Amino acid sequence: MNPSIIGQMAVSGALMGLVYALIAYGFQLTYATSKSINFGQGELVMVSAFFSLTLMNLGLPYWAMIPGGLLFGALMGLAVERAGVRLALEQKSEGWILLTIILGLFFFSAAENLWGRDDRPFPTPISADPIHVLGVDVTRLELSVAVGVLAIMGAIELFKRRTLLGKAFEAVSADRDAAELMGISATRTVMLSYALSGAVAALAGILVSPITTVGPTMASALILKAFSVAVVAGLDSGFGVVLIGMFLGALESLASFYLGSGWREAPGLLLLILALAVRPTGVFGKAAIRKV
Amino acid sequence: MLQVEDLHAGYGASEVLTGTTLAVKQGALVALIGANGAGKTTTMRAISGGLKPSRGRVLLDGKEVQGLDASRIARLGLAHAPEGRKVFGPLSVEDNLLLGAYAHLPRFFGFRARARADLDRVYDLFPRLRDRTKQAAGTLSGGEQQMLAIGRALMARPKVMLLDEPSMGLAPVIVQEVFRTIRRLKEEGITLLLVEQFAKSALEVADYAYVMERGRIAVEGTPAELSRDERVIAAYLG
Ligand SMILES: Nc1ncnc2c1ncn2[C@@H]1O[C@H](COP(=O)(O)OP(=O)(O)O)[C@@H](O)[C@H]1O
Ligand SMILES: [Mg+2]
Repeated sequence: MNPSIIGQMAVSGALMGLVYALIAYGFQLTYATSKSINFGQGELVMVSAFFSLTLMNLGLPYWAMIPGGLLFGALMGLAVERAGVRLALEQKSEGWILLTIILGLFFFSAAENLWGRDDRPFPTPISADPIHVLGVDVTRLELSVAVGVLAIMGAIELFKRRTLLGKAFEAVSADRDAAELMGISATRTVMLSYALSGAVAALAGILVSPITTVGPTMASALILKAFSVAVVAGLDSGFGVVLIGMFLGALESLASFYLGSGWREAPGLLLLILALAVRPTGVFGKAAIRKV
Repeated sequence: MLQVEDLHAGYGASEVLTGTTLAVKQGALVALIGANGAGKTTTMRAISGGLKPSRGRVLLDGKEVQGLDASRIARLGLAHAPEGRKVFGPLSVEDNLLLGAYAHLPRFFGFRARARADLDRVYDLFPRLRDRTKQAAGTLSGGEQQMLAIGRALMARPKVMLLDEPSMGLAPVIVQEVFRTIRRLKEEGITLLLVEQFAKSALEVADYAYVMERGRIAVEGTPAELSRDERVIAAYLG
């Protein structure tokens, strides 16, 4: 075993793992405000990627496409909240689980009808030539994934801490009823969280597509990994999903290199089973709400 | 300033309030007392919108608000410091206070500067909070959390403030402090509806009082009148 190859595989995998982290972060955003998540989030990643590709095919340059793609993701997030989540939450039912799965299936067949079943390349101006960083070769494309993921997560975390609207978001997460008594609309805050979650999913799609290509099934493996990361890291730690995402990505990359590509999915599954057995609240999840 | 007329509300099929009527005049401190489970908290929740009344009217400054979302009613000028304090535990003391003023602060930037005068007023009232502005509210003592809950309600510059059992679960010294604070609020001219289990202390500070029994107002009057009422003495002041 060559240590430099191990390092190489680990770094490449970890960078890709940040995409799992980003999708898992999208789950955390809506879980915080509404204790619900979009089980069709993978399809949201996929349709946003297709939409972004279409924008470029219409002549929009890559960098101008990004805000358009994010906006589309946010709108889709709002649509999911309106159609699949709000009524169920108002009736205090778990109906959102089934409804968001069904919406995902709907997005899937809509994408097949609109864009076909084939995988398509996703052009990008970012170079895929390797550059040498700290003893390993990484591509600018892989680095762009890391930069994109950390930038949007950092921006959202800053928003939550530094703006009053962000603090209101945190207030609804902490105590929805008390937040309402402050004049904060919980409904609007849940909408905001779904819009942010949708934008985050769109960015995940835009970032991975140049590497994985775009197709109706592009997100099915991604979403399972993102679930594993969310369960292992817990649904309230943004820092946790980044660490676990990178760890899982590195592990997968090593497993497929040394054991064969059939083993790529094994670490995610193993981690998930371990986490569920050992710590159901997640490795980084806070204990029950502090109370005096 | 606040009028409640024939209010009916409950949880699911069980009706708890069966026609509650009360009024709080501008600048008055009105006490609502009654045994555990009488429906005092339910009354407050039905007023502030946490619970939708099935019948009756709630008028805030002459405007009907029953049936509106709690956040709407809050923005119209009602501040409710709920039972159990309900501070935002993971957020800092100052963030809790800022959120109290959410309705009239800018959403993105400059909100802290805009809230400075109101923050200082609350910190002057509760110097202990000033020493803990950055501390997570969940790590405060029960008494401090109550001060924070009252301060947060004050930040809204409300037309009417509802205070639900501010002395619940606090040590006797702290309870005295809470009552001193309530007196201060009254002196500042804040319109207050106060629910208290310490009926005697509540009657000492109140301008007017209602006694609630099984979801209805059973007796009402000035504290002087109630203190002479045989039934009230036997049930709540003995
Ligand atoms: N969330 C709830 N769900 C169902 N019943 C409730 C709930 N809260 C209170 N109750 C019932 O409503 C009645 C009045 O309660 P409450 O308004 O809390 O009384 P008080 O504040 O006067 O002690 C009680 O019988 C109580 O059991
Ligand atoms: Mg009560």
